[in-house]
Amino acid sequence: MRLNGVEIGSVPAELHGMRLLDYLRAERGLTGAKEGCGMGECGSCTVVVDGAAVTSCLVLVGQVLDAEIRTVEGLADAGHEPLQRAFVARQAVQCGYCIPGVLNSCAALLDRVPDPDDDQIRTALDGNLCRCTAYNRFYDAVHDAACERRTDEAGPA
Amino acid sequence: MTAPQPWVGRSRPAVDAEEIVTGAVRYVTDLFPAGVLHGAVLRSPLPHARIDRIDATAARALPGVHCVLLAGDVPVNALGPREVDGPVLAEDRVRQVGEAIALVAADDEDTVRRALAAIELDLTPLPVVDSPAAAAAPDAPQLHPTGNVSGRIAFSSGDVEQAIAPAALVLRRDVTTPSQEHVAIDTPGGVAVVETDGTVTIWCGSQNPGLHQRKVARALAIDVADVRMIANPVGGAFGSRNDDPMPVYLALLARATGRPVRVHMTREETMAAGAKRHPFWTSIEIGFDREGRILGSSVRAVADTGPVITSGPNVMKTSAEMSTGPYRFPVASFDGTVYYTNNANAGAFRGYGVPQVAFAIENAVTEAAYTLGLDPMQMRIDNALQGGEPHSLYRHRVTESLAVRATLEQAAVHPVWTERAQWQAQAAWPWKRGTGVATAIKGVGMGSGTGDAARARLEIDGDGTVTIWAGPNHTGQSIQTTYGQVAADVLQIPIERIDVRIGDTGVVPESGPTAASRSTYAGGNAVRMVCEELVRRCSELELPLQLDPEGTGTKLVELGEASFEQTFVLPDTDDIGLVPPEDLAKYGPHRVYGACTQVVRVELNTLTGELRVPELVCVVDCGTAINPAAMIGQAEGGILQGLGMAIMEDHRLEGGVPVTTSLENYLIPTIADTPLMHVEMVDSTEDSGPFGAKGMSEVVVVPTPPAVAAAVMDAVGVLPHALPLTPERVLSLLEEAS
Repeated sequence: MRLNGVEIGSVPAELHGMRLLDYLRAERGLTGAKEGCGMGECGSCTVVVDGAAVTSCLVLVGQVLDAEIRTVEGLADAGHEPLQRAFVARQAVQCGYCIPGVLNSCAALLDRVPDPDDDQIRTALDGNLCRCTAYNRFYDAVHDAACERRTDEAGPA
Repeated sequence: MTAPQPWVGRSRPAVDAEEIVTGAVRYVTDLFPAGVLHGAVLRSPLPHARIDRIDATAARALPGVHCVLLAGDVPVNALGPREVDGPVLAEDRVRQVGEAIALVAADDEDTVRRALAAIELDLTPLPVVDSPAAAAAPDAPQLHPTGNVSGRIAFSSGDVEQAIAPAALVLRRDVTTPSQEHVAIDTPGGVAVVETDGTVTIWCGSQNPGLHQRKVARALAIDVADVRMIANPVGGAFGSRNDDPMPVYLALLARATGRPVRVHMTREETMAAGAKRHPFWTSIEIGFDREGRILGSSVRAVADTGPVITSGPNVMKTSAEMSTGPYRFPVASFDGTVYYTNNANAGAFRGYGVPQVAFAIENAVTEAAYTLGLDPMQMRIDNALQGGEPHSLYRHRVTESLAVRATLEQAAVHPVWTERAQWQAQAAWPWKRGTGVATAIKGVGMGSGTGDAARARLEIDGDGTVTIWAGPNHTGQSIQTTYGQVAADVLQIPIERIDVRIGDTGVVPESGPTAASRSTYAGGNAVRMVCEELVRRCSELELPLQLDPEGTGTKLVELGEASFEQTFVLPDTDDIGLVPPEDLAKYGPHRVYGACTQVVRVELNTLTGELRVPELVCVVDCGTAINPAAMIGQAEGGILQGLGMAIMEDHRLEGGVPVTTSLENYLIPTIADTPLMHVEMVDSTEDSGPFGAKGMSEVVVVPTPPAVAAAVMDAVGVLPHALPLTPERVLSLLEEAS
């Protein structure tokens, strides 16, 4: 298993039956992944597994032994600092509990689609519940991040 | 010369936003201290039953189990001073599905679950009181020694029948609004630790840390000073962290085991046991003259508060005051009753009794405009209560800053309203389109006569850094950022030099709840006062403060003048009108109100009953917006909760047993359900508020449901009287229309 870009070696067999969410939180101290429902409905436990946004409450460790897993703690190293900055600057964050899952869904989208439109953002975030905001600033933040990453790639004018 | 305001009125990201987006922030449910035990709650599977026997012997004997606590193990088994506050743990009777019966702590989650299953519980079902009507029946089982009435509030400003006798139109209508679950994405939980000296520290989300501190002290029979509540960071509240007993559970488990104990409720537990928005049955009789002027109204309301009192009568008190809506008319009456039942306990929820009665009065105004052939926007403008006028029920004087009329006038010129006919004409079969408007006000603070107050403490240290401890607490609104902006502008120093601390009873002076739209107004004023006191001391001592080049902090420390506290007492209304002075707190009329008007577009599928809200306008009167983007964020989130209540959310029970048990069958709006929102402010300044600010985060919930209903009426010609507008309800409205 690779976790946030680091090869972590083999996971002891007695942990294979654990939910990935519990493994990340209790065994790896990565508490950015949150539990909100335990049944894949709220999306607050969303992490990125081999490039796809996945609800980690519905995945067992044994299913992802060979996978590349990324949590919110690994976002910056994966080049998603612009996304994080945009969520701050757009004031898209209130209580913040859903935000790690939201960011992971957005980052998985940006990795796949560098310049997504609103429909693509809506589809990517359809599985992430937020009760504080009304989602609208998530669009703005993703567009900002896409723009910044594009500008960075183009290099100085 | 007015001092510059570099911070107030400019949007500023929340101070905690950076650690939120990196995942670094540790919510109270992210804490796993060394040696922590896992706790859980055994809950009633039945809505009403006698407890014949509880035997925890087998559960206690399981390896890894550290304690099983029953009612007899709680030093003072009470969540409040009155019997109707309910016990911490049920003793001889359960009165709700999800009521707590036992607390367990064990080495790990699996052992906790095995222990819960090993507790032997014999229950004999009792007849279920499943509605207020059943509670009021003469032969109803009595849920408390005081009976099944939790509270009643009634008031009349004159003879309504006489006032509406000459009316051109009298409407008598009944409306219903559903029970709604907060669905804060973080479920209740946290950690408690008992120190060797017997003091208890609890990390658990709370909108009222001082109240929870007192609840814990009562249940454990210890001094309030020996309890410390650290009440954030928490993943959302919306009212659910006012009545939550979780801090008491955590403290009891830590005390019994001598170890740190962690509990995190499941979503299913929260759906069953967490307090809900009160379902209401509201009747209105209201008369209008030919020009649409309201002549008088009489509102009767019934609410279901479930088995214990929590906020029931206080919610109805707010309903009473808001039963005349944002309108000025000569005569009004209100009569509201709150009943105990075996349904879900209801408590505080953003809006606090206002959305329920607003649905009755706004629907009536919508229908009257249609029947009298008047413009529904102009009719509201003509009836709008203006600043400084007497309130229609209590005749008390409202603040000069009330700008409900300005919110209506601003909404009236927005293209979403002015272009409604063209937009409607562009509907393509099988869709129909309509546009609706509704408006509301809501009081800021606990109301006149209640002695509502907030406090702040300030300390300046040797290098000139200012620390401010202030309440109310933060549950997502970034109130500490707001306090910092207020402080920076009073002190005229950079905001980075000010450290704001909140939500910890060990260091923050008692400031009351994060409730009643009061945090910015009450807490912001306390912060303003404590900063003004620093400015005054510096000026008296002829010390400079700006950027502190002269060691002002050091000198103040030497003089013993570097730390002090101030209290802001919310001012009562200048004129209490018809309210008897001895009953002022009982009715609690407000001085200060926020206001909000919304215009909502609705599309209805005439074949499937699907209802969509693609776009809406929200105009807010919040006085000065100290952090405008944060204010707009509060408005958008509040609107979406109102929209949930309007179109999809309904916590349903059958015979007292919840039918909506998880996020699989209780749906809240997703990004796909969310309209494009245009949130605007009007120019208004509240003289008694910090830099002219008042509160707004509840009033924005209120207009959404009646605006949706008005838009449905505009689309299909029938006004809905029951929420939420599920496809089934929409289809039956369409049948009615044809």
